[in-house]
Amino acid sequence: MTRYVMVIDKRRCIGCQSCTVACRTWNDLPLDIVYNPVVTEGTQGTWPNVHRDWTPLLCMHCANPECVPCCPTGASQQDEDGTVWIDSKKCMACKVCVNACPYGMRDASHLEPRLHRFVRKCTFCRDRRQMDPSAKPYCVDTCHQKARIFGDIDDPESEVSKLIGSVKTERLFTEFGTDPQIYYIPELGGKA
Amino acid sequence: MKHHYWEMPIVIYLFLGGLGGGIMFLSAIFDFFITPGAGVLFAWPMFIALAALAVGCFFLVFELGQPLVFWRVWTTATAIIKWGATLLVIAMVFGALWWVSYLPWEWISGLAGALAGARGLFLGIAGFAGFGIMVYTGVMLSTLKAHAFWATPALPVLFTISAISTACAAIALGLGGWPVEFSLEAVFVTEVIHEILHIVDIVLVCAEIVVLLIMVLSFFGAGNVTAKAVATRWVKGKTAPLFWIGMVGFGLIIPLVLYIGGAGSAASSVVAPVLVLLGGLLLRYLCVYSDERAEIPGENRYYNRIAKGDEKFVSEWRGKENLY
Repeated sequence: MTRYVMVIDKRRCIGCQSCTVACRTWNDLPLDIVYNPVVTEGTQGTWPNVHRDWTPLLCMHCANPECVPCCPTGASQQDEDGTVWIDSKKCMACKVCVNACPYGMRDASHLEPRLHRFVRKCTFCRDRRQMDPSAKPYCVDTCHQKARIFGDIDDPESEVSKLIGSVKTERLFTEFGTDPQIYYIPELGGKA
Repeated sequence: MKHHYWEMPIVIYLFLGGLGGGIMFLSAIFDFFITPGAGVLFAWPMFIALAALAVGCFFLVFELGQPLVFWRVWTTATAIIKWGATLLVIAMVFGALWWVSYLPWEWISGLAGALAGARGLFLGIAGFAGFGIMVYTGVMLSTLKAHAFWATPALPVLFTISAISTACAAIALGLGGWPVEFSLEAVFVTEVIHEILHIVDIVLVCAEIVVLLIMVLSFFGAGNVTAKAVATRWVKGKTAPLFWIGMVGFGLIIPLVLYIGGAGSAASSVVAPVLVLLGGLLLRYLCVYSDERAEIPGENRYYNRIAKGDEKFVSEWRGKENLY
């Protein structure tokens, strides 16, 4: 069975925000919505031993998502391949799922017409994959550093499967029991 | 964090929902167990409860991004807010049927008479649903474990105690009002119920103080990083004046003193219940706006720098005349 995950190699990320821009462009997002911000705490350490650690964020497409069972309309759904997505035709924007997500990766735009808002989030570019099953999320295609690697973790020959099996990876907020499916290869870091 | 996802409409909804549900629950308790046959005295409080639930529902629907399709809330089985919406409808329908059965107008006397035979059933169902709403308002927030300050079993307990307390206050203010006709028996029973409500609300206010302080101070002393940050804000930060002076002082301690010290006076029968009601509203406000999530390192730095929606260039974009 297919189970899509993403590995993000923080050693390669330079915080260029290309993925953020690509995502905004592909999904035609309102200005107050960002699916995949690339965040940093700023420069750490003392010159000349300084470094900056970038963390690209996106929906964690959790194996045990908090946002799906709490949705009263059934708009928030999960495919068999693990993709968590929202059917905008069913969403009434009650924002329970937005409050349920421990990662803050969902939101409804305040810039859309008052009576026609719906909750949005990253879908691993589900629409692109529906058009072409071999397609990858746009942020993955755009990342010139190859910091984002997308694939099927259930396929032992896939790059993500090999990476997760061979390199130390971390996941965010596993204590919530959501089993997030974005794996981060930690930054090497400078000498602080 | 980015911003508050739920704001004042949800605060008002949670307050009015708890208030309305509490009035129905207490009306049923009094009518069935404490003062049987005195149901008509609760007709005006029941109207207040129905109005509170109706206004609360309005704000709940108003908060939706797509209010016109609110009925979609009933399309799945798992969501907790579906149960809240269901309880609201049950409470309002059966509460309204019970209330209509007491209406004295000639033009509706036929319907009122027909419904009178099933008053016990209507009030029983409305009271049961009302109890569910009181508990639900706290449970709904506490299931959202992404928010450390909400995800505690103390919150539903606190909201339930506060709901019954505010319901006591509202009933005390409205008991025996229209359509009760003057009679010595009505006056006597009203006084008895007032006395009982008076004592019950003293106990509830004391319990609320205890639960509130245990919840906040345990988070303050031993909560995780996020919950402790919120509790610190409540105890000695930006929210401290609102918490200590508004919530604890005017919402709990002063009503308690007035209830105990000014028995029988206007301060006890009017000022204290009004303060209890305002305290209940303030409690929901403080809790709903304490929705901090655990921060992903660097997240707040990022979101503090992006458009909030009121900048000039955002307004230009909204108007489809993006000059930038």
